[in-house]
Amino acid sequence: MGEAAGAVEAEPVDEAAGVLEPWEVFRQEKDGDPMRHGGSVMAPDATLAVHYAREMYGRRQESVHLWVVRRADIHDLADPDLLQPPLDRSFKKPGGYVMREKLAAAREASGQQKPRANKGDR
Amino acid sequence: MTESEPVERIAMDFTDAGDGRERAIALLLLSMADDEFVIGFSDSEWTGIGPILEEDVAISSLAQDELGHAQALYRLFAEVVADGRDADAVAYDRPAEGYLHARLLDHGRGDWAATIARRYLYETADAARLAALAETSFEPLRDLVAKIRREERYHLMHVEAWLDRLAEAGGEPRRRLMVALEAMGPDAGTVLALLPGEPALLRHGILAEPFAAVESTWRARVDGTFGRLGLAALPATRDPGTARTRHSHAFRALHHEFTMVRGSEAAATW
Repeated sequence: MGEAAGAVEAEPVDEAAGVLEPWEVFRQEKDGDPMRHGGSVMAPDATLAVHYAREMYGRRQESVHLWVVRRADIHDLADPDLLQPPLDRSFKKPGGYVMREKLAAAREASGQQKPRANKGDR
Repeated sequence: MTESEPVERIAMDFTDAGDGRERAIALLLLSMADDEFVIGFSDSEWTGIGPILEEDVAISSLAQDELGHAQALYRLFAEVVADGRDADAVAYDRPAEGYLHARLLDHGRGDWAATIARRYLYETADAARLAALAETSFEPLRDLVAKIRREERYHLMHVEAWLDRLAEAGGEPRRRLMVALEAMGPDAGTVLALLPGEPALLRHGILAEPFAAVESTWRARVDGTFGRLGLAALPATRDPGTARTRHSHAFRALHHEFTMVRGSEAAATW
């Protein structure tokens, strides 16, 4: 029986094949919803990654659409210097400067009270 | 034709009512249900021991799908035969020799390559059989076949992906695949072997074409794939007359296992 394998090609197993790597799965719960990150699966290639994503994130009919992305293909940015700069950059926000602290300081200096909101007729 | 007698005897055992049409439908349903049940139960043995966690979940889910198909087919069989048995009684309360699954499924799950070889041969044959039933005149079966085919599409994609990988990897994976295919090859065609009720199935529009024609379609598909992968062509079917009878010791062991819990307390309500 073992000799039946005599015709086996001598070439070694492709080292690159069969190496597991992580794939990120995004799922859409129903038509019109955004794609949300669901989790990840380990797979050696895209075809099996999609199969496994289907099993993990779709077999109970909990998804109508899946995206499966090799984690290594994702361009990563998590640098706090770039994403959370230390200086006040609130002027870049749509709302402009945050005025609450400055107003409070000006009132303090001039001795005024914070005006109370009108409640009904005075 | 004397070789076919055991199947006919089993077929007669479950109904002495109805015309040839009902008997032929019952025999077809039972053979399909037993195929799905046996491969489903057998593949479920991978639960917890799959090659990787993701594949463990995948093969377990596929096995559950097959058991689900078996359940639906057993229910339909029970309705057609109407002898007081429900789907569970049909599935679990027969002696080992009363099962009509194809001899291909008497090969145990084996190693991963054997499981893939068996799944590939069975799923492709089953797909050809389901295609020949897609327009069946027996309406409940037509509805069921439409649902089953939608799930089997994914099953085929899964097993073809694995077959390609094992065959193209070379070395040990390819060697194991070839060993499994050589052992199972002569039994592969048993899934599409002639059923005694075939003339009635064709006459009443239950089956679109003879099993021999379904088998040719299936062989052309498998030959194409095996040719592309450099695998040896499938041999002719061995002993087609006993394609669904005289089951192996491996099946008797499996039967003992899947009837054990239900058999432990015959009067119990589960």
